[in-house]
This record gives sequence, C-alpha cells and structure tokens, in this order.
Amino acid sequence: MEFDDKIPIYYQIKNYLYHQIVTGELDPGEKLPAVRQLAVDVTANVNTVQRALTEMINEQIIEPQRGKGNFVTIDVDKIKQLKDKLVKEQLTIAYQELHDLQLSDNEILEELRKFMKNRGVENE
Amino acid sequence: MSNVMKIENLNYSHNLVKILNDVNLKVESGKIIGLLGENGAGKTTLMRLITGNAHGTGAIEVSGTFQAKDRKAHVSFTDHLNGFPAGMKIGKIVDFYRTVYDDFDDKRCDDLMKFLNLDKTMKVSALSKGNKEKLIIALTLSRQVELYLLDEPFSGIDSMSRKKIINSIIQWKPEHATILVSDHYVSEIAPILDEIIVIKNETIACQKQTDEIRENKGMSVENFYESLYDEGGNNND
Repeated sequence: MEFDDKIPIYYQIKNYLYHQIVTGELDPGEKLPAVRQLAVDVTANVNTVQRALTEMINEQIIEPQRGKGNFVTIDVDKIKQLKDKLVKEQLTIAYQELHDLQLSDNEILEELRKFMKNRGVENE
Repeated sequence: MSNVMKIENLNYSHNLVKILNDVNLKVESGKIIGLLGENGAGKTTLMRLITGNAHGTGAIEVSGTFQAKDRKAHVSFTDHLNGFPAGMKIGKIVDFYRTVYDDFDDKRCDDLMKFLNLDKTMKVSALSKGNKEKLIIALTLSRQVELYLLDEPFSGIDSMSRKKIINSIIQWKPEHATILVSDHYVSEIAPILDEIIVIKNETIACQKQTDEIRENKGMSVENFYESLYDEGGNNND
C-alpha cells in the first residue's frame, strides 16, 4: 500500500479497511486477517496496524472475539452509517474547495451536473 | 511500556575527537525505531557502544544488564561479515552463528532464508550487494533477543531487495523486541517506524513518534527530519 507520509499511517490503514468494508470487499461478519498478516499486506508496523484496529473497535465497525481475531460487524446499519460518513467527508472537502473558488451553491450543482455529463461522454 | 534500553551520560571520543557528547536515551520494548543522522554523525558508533564493541564513559543498560559482556546476550547487531573468508558458503556461516549464539533459532533462520531466496550452498563472494544485505538481515534476525541493531541495511541496494528486507523486519520481529534501524535517508522506511531518534551535533537532537509528527505538525517524517538541519543552519548564522 502506498502511504502519504504527511498523514498518520494508522489513519490511512483505518480508511483503507473502511473502504473495503463499505464496498463489500470485506463482508459483514467476515474475519479480518491477523494483525501481523495485515502489517505485511500493507507494509506497516504491527503497532500502527493495532492502533488502527483499536480505533475501528471503538467505532464499533469491527468486533474482537476472544482468541479468534477481529470480525466485521454484522450490524448493516452501522456499515450504512460508515458509508454515509465517508461520503460526507469527501463532499465536505469538494464543497469547501469549490466554495473557496467563489461558486454559489447553485453554481456548484450546475458544475457538478456538467462534469458528470461530460465525464459520461468521455467514458463511452 | 517497559524500557529495553536506557543510556545515561554517554560520552565517547576517538583520537581526541569527540564523537558523542552526553547522550541520554530511553528506548521502549516492542518498537521499530529509526536512528537517523548524516554520514559520520555517530550512528554506527552508538550501535557499537551498545553492543560493547566500543567503550565510552557513562551507563548503557540493556534488559537490566550493564556490563558489555552481559549486554551482548540481549543484542543482535548486523555484522558485515568481513571476518569470514570470501569463498565461504552461507551454510558454514550459519553453522558458525549457531555455535556462537545460544539464542540462534534454526527454524527462524530457515524461514528467513527461504523468504529472502537465499541458498545455503551459495558462496558469500558470489552474492550481489542486495543478497549480501539479505543474508546479514537473516542472520541478525535469526537470534532471539530483545534488541536488534540494524546498521544501514538499505544503503546501496535496489528497491526490490529493500522491500523484501522491510517485509522480513515486519514479519520476524518478535512482538516484545525492539529494532533500531539506522539510515541517513528516511523516506524509504518511514511507514514502518514507530519513532525516530536523530543524532546531530554529537548528541540526540530529538526522539519523536512518527504518527505524532504527521498528526501534530502535518509534516512528512522526511520533511521534519530535514527541518532539523534548516534550523541548525539558522542558529549558526
């Protein structure tokens, strides 16, 4: 995994795993790889991976089971909330950037529509 | 968390030149720590003082032991294999390590050799720079100790060998052991470091958590490391 060295690594690992959960690459109830295996997979330190997992446990997206490892929550509402949160985070960034360019809300909507339409043409 | 190593008031001079001046340091168990500094800053010297291959004044405690001969049992240091005949086969060097170190673990050694694609019948003289570094890492990590000192394992090797070595560090570091890895170039290992320790002007210029640098300063570890030298320049003006 390529890390951005200006952003805390534990945070990037957490986001990486959250994306896998939201997109269904990791199913509800699925077991996560062992901490050391995850560390090797993403090329990070075991302590850093553990910190990411601890935050995910605190945010109730994964559940530790004694002696068995960590599992994705089976509570699909929680996963839905997580998805909403990730979407909102991205929208907040985009909205703020466009707002800083002096675009009104209506102009932002109009630009977004234009963008999606043209993008559709390019992709065909 | 407990400390694996504690250094107090360490001083070292060589030929009347001060190399390290009043070094004080505490290192926790279970960490991967980058020991950074320019060429000639004293990184290798500090490692040699820890292993007892060099002698200064002050106290160095590793896993509760103070005497150099006792510390050696708790520290595994990257030997650059200069003491072995060039035509010697890897298998013979492994035999030597097994004989000398009671804590040498054959299973770990076999696993590491396999992971790093090293063949025991190969001669040391026939190894590429990258493969020689891999062998050094395999031998160093095959010992079961509390403190590993890796002296610039990435200098002058290709990126594929570097990745392999980084992965073997992640995979084979015993949970409660600490690895101190020196480098004068930080970006290639920054993602796997818990902490950095910087040696500058003959002493410890800073000891910091890497994610704290990223979180509190919004800086990459490399930029932070370089900024220590900018400030130094300004102070001298």
